[in-house]
Amino acid sequence: MQDYKNKSIYLFQGVFTPEAFKKIRLAKSDHAFVCEGRPSLEAGKKTTSLLLKQGNTPTVISDNMAGFLFFKGLVKEVIIACQYADKTGALCDTGALILAVLAKKHKVPLKLLAAEHKTRFLGNPKSILSFEGKEFAPKSTIGYVPLVEWIPKKYL
Amino acid sequence: MSFESPLFWPAHLKEGVLYVLDETLVPSKLKYISVKNVKDSVAVIRDMKTRAFGQFLVVLNTFLLENSDDLKHLQKVAEALNNSRPTFPFAEVTGIVVGAAQKAAASGIDSRLAVAKTVQGFLAGIRARRLQRVSEIADELKDHDVVLTHCNVSGELAMAASLAAAQGKDVKFFATETRPYMQGAKLTVWELQEAKAHVTLVPDNAIASLMADRMVNKVIIGSDRSAANGDIANKIGSYQIAVLAKEFGIPLIVLTQPSRGVATGEDMPIEIRDADEILDFNGKKIFGNKVKGFYPGFDVVPHQLITKAIAINAGL
Repeated sequence: MQDYKNKSIYLFQGVFTPEAFKKIRLAKSDHAFVCEGRPSLEAGKKTTSLLLKQGNTPTVISDNMAGFLFFKGLVKEVIIACQYADKTGALCDTGALILAVLAKKHKVPLKLLAAEHKTRFLGNPKSILSFEGKEFAPKSTIGYVPLVEWIPKKYL
Repeated sequence: MSFESPLFWPAHLKEGVLYVLDETLVPSKLKYISVKNVKDSVAVIRDMKTRAFGQFLVVLNTFLLENSDDLKHLQKVAEALNNSRPTFPFAEVTGIVVGAAQKAAASGIDSRLAVAKTVQGFLAGIRARRLQRVSEIADELKDHDVVLTHCNVSGELAMAASLAAAQGKDVKFFATETRPYMQGAKLTVWELQEAKAHVTLVPDNAIASLMADRMVNKVIIGSDRSAANGDIANKIGSYQIAVLAKEFGIPLIVLTQPSRGVATGEDMPIEIRDADEILDFNGKKIFGNKVKGFYPGFDVVPHQLITKAIAINAGL
């Protein structure tokens, strides 16, 4: 905890296009935290790769850990992958609404960047039963994997 | 009560050995680890072979395993347990046992006997009160409820689900997978299935979708620790669930063990675990060698976000 100063963390969520990500510039005193993006972990893998290419050392967290960072006052800005936006809100990779509500509550600015995916709405229910190819949930488990969610304008 | 989950009472003392359910192997195996002394106890707690209520059972039973009337030794046992993991209030539990031993010794009574009676009485009382709480949870479950839960509440929710079904109520559940240890996927889904309940597993990042789309109408979670003002600490992810529940007008019910050991949630030490538990899987780096990780094991839910606490008084 003592490694991170208040309002020093940029929190990334979703799968971004490399072009959009070129807009990201972090100061040396800032930290880049990346939500891993279950079940595929594609968000964590691709976003950490983009950050490394820019010379940043990213830190991965599980998707349930963002709230902790807000509660501790560590988050400076939230950057989420957006598939579509209009005057009423934005369609974003799942997980974005958690961060948008937290950002509003904790008065942290939120930025939308273009998402890589545009057409996937629901993931394979079986994809949540395994992690990196290894099954861990009971075989008969029902899964539900929404891949996009709507962020109303009031949170943006 | 017709159904009792193995997670409700995951440690049993028999002939000087404590058999502790290895929760990391559930659901593929129901294997019990033999715990014979305080060193073994600390290992099963620190390695998260047991957690939540299982830790409580291990802590209390360790004094029976050690079976000592040496007050200095009992104090050392308490210290080892207290230092095993930081967030659960072990010191409040061990303090009661050591206090009973000290009081007995000062009165010329066999402190070994005092410890045994204290622990056995404590456990019998807790079991009765937990069974009572299962009934109270079942009362909270209404016909056609769809409940979101997080991590695992050591058998009580599954048993309440079974009881609610016996009462003719149709209740469905969503369980978060609860990264990185997957307690929701491995424990909660399994025991709800064992209880013949309808349960759907969701990623931790889908909770807002569920709430915004009105797919759940109630949230029930446990807690590892309570503060005097009603704040709780629970498995990481609980805070954002609580914030979202408040935002979407969904009641949040928390199973608590009231304690006055700390004033507020801010005073609770939060365990920061090894980042490799997020970054590594089956011995391989998931995100590449240069990527760091951060793993807080718990977070605090302020009491203002809690709609109702169903308390069990453990005497802490």
